[in-house]
Amino acid sequence: MSIEVIFSGLQTTIQDLGRKGWKHMGVPESGAADKFSLKLANFLLNKKLNSSVLESSLNGPILKFLKPMNFVVTGADMQPKINKTALKMNSPSKAQINDVLSLSHSSAGCRSYIAFSEDLISESFLESTSTYLPAKLGGVEGLPLQTGAIIETKSCELNTQNSQKIDLNLISPFTNKWILRVMEGPEFYSLRSESRANIFASSYTVSNDSSRMGNRLDGTRMELFDSKHMVTAPVHLGTIQCPQNGLPIILGCDSQTLGGYPRILQIAEVDFPMIGQLRPRDKVSFVRVSIEEARDKLKQLELIHPF
Amino acid sequence: MSISSRFKVYDFSENIFVIEIKNKNEYPDQVQAHLSLSEHLRSGYYWVEVAAGEKSIFVTYNCLEISALKALEIIYNQLEEFIYKEESDQNLELVIPVYYSEEFGLDIQDVAATHNLSMQEIAHLHSQPTYKVKMIGFTPGFAYIGDLPKELFMSRLSKPRVNLLAGSVGIAGNRTCVYPLGGPGGWRIIGRTPLTLFHKDKKNPFGILPGINIRFKPMTKQEYENFKQDNPL
Repeated sequence: MSIEVIFSGLQTTIQDLGRKGWKHMGVPESGAADKFSLKLANFLLNKKLNSSVLESSLNGPILKFLKPMNFVVTGADMQPKINKTALKMNSPSKAQINDVLSLSHSSAGCRSYIAFSEDLISESFLESTSTYLPAKLGGVEGLPLQTGAIIETKSCELNTQNSQKIDLNLISPFTNKWILRVMEGPEFYSLRSESRANIFASSYTVSNDSSRMGNRLDGTRMELFDSKHMVTAPVHLGTIQCPQNGLPIILGCDSQTLGGYPRILQIAEVDFPMIGQLRPRDKVSFVRVSIEEARDKLKQLELIHPF
Repeated sequence: MSISSRFKVYDFSENIFVIEIKNKNEYPDQVQAHLSLSEHLRSGYYWVEVAAGEKSIFVTYNCLEISALKALEIIYNQLEEFIYKEESDQNLELVIPVYYSEEFGLDIQDVAATHNLSMQEIAHLHSQPTYKVKMIGFTPGFAYIGDLPKELFMSRLSKPRVNLLAGSVGIAGNRTCVYPLGGPGGWRIIGRTPLTLFHKDKKNPFGILPGINIRFKPMTKQEYENFKQDNPL
């Protein structure tokens, strides 16, 4: 017995870095929706970056420690408290037996990550513990944590030799207005010319119909040329599809692997973590970058952060 | 013919190349050829992921580890070596027993009404051909199997069902499928197989693989029940 779930929160699941390499069998990447915050959490506790953590959306859980251990909360700020004392984000703390960690709700950003100095015991599917809800795989029976459940943990080796430091000031703060860098997708020219300009001038609203599978957007409807039959083509995390109704959909980490709608834009990988932090009613706009710029940004980020 | 006249290769994103077979006449079945090419590309172990759609392939690499230029060079070498044999996987065949019925075939009456067929005729038509797996994707292990006889072509449901049971056998357009997992789906359901096509605890959890042959074999309700009894989950 290690951690008791006093309250599950809106949707709390076990996540790691996901399962890459299985797209050809229809398996999405999954893993944390914001992989930067997951890696940060594990890094701050000197754990392996791929260690399992709890991912919590919009409204966080209340957890009781049945064993002393260290923990850290990253991602969206849900005003974490240990007992009645407010905790700092991105700052490891020590919990004693019977301490209660409670997360409330965030006002900017969608998902918080809680990492622990012990390993969470969970099911593995294709070498990842990531909970994939549509097929009930990974995590705890493939489901979100249930109120009243006990999460088992076991001690693990920590990388205490780690001398690298991270400058927390370099982490971009969360907002309710996101600017995402995008490249033109293969079917960008399915948009009529006016829409091709409009999509970069418009601000979209993230709809309530949003999940780890994707975010539907509300706003200016794009005009498309009649696509009688677009053949089924591969899609990726961050692919922006536009069905005939003209409202774009951003595909998330649990999205299907093939799609039949025009792929009008592709979000640059450097901005993937933001996709996992979009909350319903947030504003989203797009700025165009070239593929070379997208690559350069990714390389620059690798130099800034130690992971 | 030169590689660039046979294949189109272009950037999708900072980490992904798209490959398309250009020459429409070179291969009789474009979808099959793309699947076969994707298998060939994956067999080199150079790539993070290789996934095929109907008429294009995604090759994912890590641009922090190899340059786009280097990745392109490897792709061109692999394309150079690609030889497509329509018959290559002919010996791998999976026989899927199906209980075609109103009980499990939620749409079998619609199919019967649309095409003026009896249930037996639907079962017969569906189980006649030796099919091929044309594409895998959408959800884990979901295979697009074809080509379906023209007499059975149906559109998808306008509103997908929320919770189909695993093993449901569906048809849509010129394709047929077996839902390996329970969950949502918009294909027309004509029956169910007792065969488990997804084993989450196995190293390879998938019962249907790209390129293999598939045959369906009608079974009675009694045979379905016996099969279930002999093969508990």
